[in-house]
Amino acid sequence: MFRVPFLIAIALAIAFGGGIWSTLVALDATIGFGAIRLGAWEAFPEAQTAKADPYAKSHRANAGKLLYASAEGLVFTAAVDETGARLTGNCSYRLTGHTPPARFWTLFAAAPGAPPPSAQSDLPRALNSRMVLRDGDGGFDIVMSATAKPGNWLAVPEAGPFRLTLTLFDTPTAGSSGLIDLSMPRIERTGCGNA
Amino acid sequence: MPRIFALQVLFSVVTGLIGAALLHLVIVLLLPDFSERDAYTRVLAEGESHRFYRLGEKPDRAGLSKDDPFVDTAVCAFDVSEGPLRLTAPNGGVPFWSLAVYDQSSNEVFSINDRTSAGGVLDVVIATPVQLTSLRQAQPPALSQSILVETTQAEGYVVLRSLVPQPSFADIASQFLSQATCTPFEWRSRSRF
Repeated sequence: MFRVPFLIAIALAIAFGGGIWSTLVALDATIGFGAIRLGAWEAFPEAQTAKADPYAKSHRANAGKLLYASAEGLVFTAAVDETGARLTGNCSYRLTGHTPPARFWTLFAAAPGAPPPSAQSDLPRALNSRMVLRDGDGGFDIVMSATAKPGNWLAVPEAGPFRLTLTLFDTPTAGSSGLIDLSMPRIERTGCGNA
Repeated sequence: MPRIFALQVLFSVVTGLIGAALLHLVIVLLLPDFSERDAYTRVLAEGESHRFYRLGEKPDRAGLSKDDPFVDTAVCAFDVSEGPLRLTAPNGGVPFWSLAVYDQSSNEVFSINDRTSAGGVLDVVIATPVQLTSLRQAQPPALSQSILVETTQAEGYVVLRSLVPQPSFADIASQFLSQATCTPFEWRSRSRF
């Protein structure tokens, strides 16, 4: 007797539950298509334009962030190291190499979903291109660790996964597809625990 | 009889999955139009239009905050349907500033930084195509150095960023943002009298 209402209820529950759940997961998991991947880093140079795909438009409407326009800069993020393992505050990492050409860059680490660190914090939780020490050919070597290290030290959150954000300001690469040939700094794990 | 029932359940599950896929597409495509958390709504929630609001490190009541510890940010919502908007700021030595103009769906309309501007000074006029045509005909002397930007959407917002590479630059950057103006440009009233 209740067979037809039961079947309709199943169909409706799957449609609404599945539809809403899959949308939330899709918008949470990625900023959209059109990512540029360079090693562990990824960037979305067209996420703020009218050319962005529907997922990117939906994501930015839901996140409500003020994105960087093409003359301003390009944001690269990394959640994994060079081998593909998730970045975590229990381990130490080295960031070596060069950034693509840019007038200025900033680098900070924050837990996923957490706000960016304050510039006034006691630990060096954020670095920029004017602060880092460089070697003879302009490359840098930054140690990312929760505990203090000599040289360039970027303090990362003490435990749990974190995400690196490298923002290039006034970079000619923001609008160019030649970005693929460019090299980003490498993220290598040096040790975990107290090692 | 149980076999028929199982088939019917399977059919309803398949129907549900098709419905879920349709709903997924509908939500993704319509979300930008209905979202109340998007950047334009948040900028509007800062307060009245046509003035810059500085953003802090903590999200304010509109939900906006600085995205980078070394970048000071100010936002301004505008509506150029009544008349063009003029953005100005004197440069007192900020190492880098950049301006982005977005329409109400947060699509980039125009962007500029201190190197691509004239003399490192911010002087931009945002206007609709019709206003821009009459502006070019009138050629008001005040706008001789301005960069004219055409927007097809009358409403939108402006993001002005200024770099603070070291704490000693904080005052200059702060001064730059507080002296920036985002006001309607009234050139017609003068020609009328």
